[in-house]
Amino acid sequence: MKTLEIIAIIFMLIVTGVTFGLYQINFQGFTHLTNYSKTPAYDLSGTRLYSNGTLLLNVTRTAGPDTYGGFIVLVQILYPNGTVLYQWTGQQLGMLPQSDIINEFPLHPAKPIHIGNYGVGILAPLGQNFVVKLQVPFHIKPGTYIVRVYDADGQYKAYGTEFQVTVTVS
Amino acid sequence: MAQVTIETTQKFLPVLRITLGWMFFSAFVRRVINVPDKLNPQSSLYVGGKILTFLPHAWSPVKGILIWVLENPTLLYDFLITFTALEAIFGLMMILGLFTRLSGFGLALLAWGMGPAAGWLGSTCLDEWQIASVEGAAALMFMLTGSRWLSIDQILHSKYPDGIKIGKIRIPLW
Repeated sequence: MKTLEIIAIIFMLIVTGVTFGLYQINFQGFTHLTNYSKTPAYDLSGTRLYSNGTLLLNVTRTAGPDTYGGFIVLVQILYPNGTVLYQWTGQQLGMLPQSDIINEFPLHPAKPIHIGNYGVGILAPLGQNFVVKLQVPFHIKPGTYIVRVYDADGQYKAYGTEFQVTVTVS
Repeated sequence: MAQVTIETTQKFLPVLRITLGWMFFSAFVRRVINVPDKLNPQSSLYVGGKILTFLPHAWSPVKGILIWVLENPTLLYDFLITFTALEAIFGLMMILGLFTRLSGFGLALLAWGMGPAAGWLGSTCLDEWQIASVEGAAALMFMLTGSRWLSIDQILHSKYPDGIKIGKIRIPLW
């Protein structure tokens, strides 16, 4: 009987440990509760800007609902002081040819969304990593710039991180 | 039928057993009977796409495996078919109470296995964590209790009360 009770307690501890462990590691539930399924977020690591005006915008959709969105409706190149050098609105992004968006994974591809001639933006499915080829119509002086994207909710930050990256043009 | 003492607790186990089994078996039913396109790689409903949504906050060794599987479509398809088959087999065994202990062990691994991959998902109530934790705990409980009432294990036990023996080791399948 004693052995049985010890086994029961061991299993109780293992199972409770799994439950609490998944809670803490996936949601930081015992410290700073975070649910990454609430709002879309984007990571722009790998983005490159060239002096001839070519922007290779590398986007990874890192958070938000798994079944819908997000939608990138504004891409900006900013001077370090925050002034806009150039930007693409949803109208332009939504009318891009599919061939200008290169997806890492074949399933759930990112794609331009437009309704007739009305461009909406770029659909970015959760988990997808993709490169958008954009062209600024003039040369860009060497220096440091910020590339930023906005979600359709009007935000460029979520969960304490901004959807932007610093790039250097040489 | 030999006189078997069944503890009171055993009589209440089917209350949970059938619901638990259905959670897994119904996944097979949805993908194979309700919406067969869920297992069609050409369809936008293909469940392979779900694996992609796990990526952003999957735990690090698991994330690498997921990326590898996603970049090899045939591997992804084989994985989905295997996972669906295991859910069907172990889920049905749990519902019927056939080798309940083995089924409980299998289902606990399937449920908990979701934790490091999809555990961070859930826009309403930390959904995937709840699924993994509750189903994992319930399934593991059945590994420990078995289910000897309203079950095939009950029949097996009445016919073979000693269970299966390999050499001198008794394998407690029921």
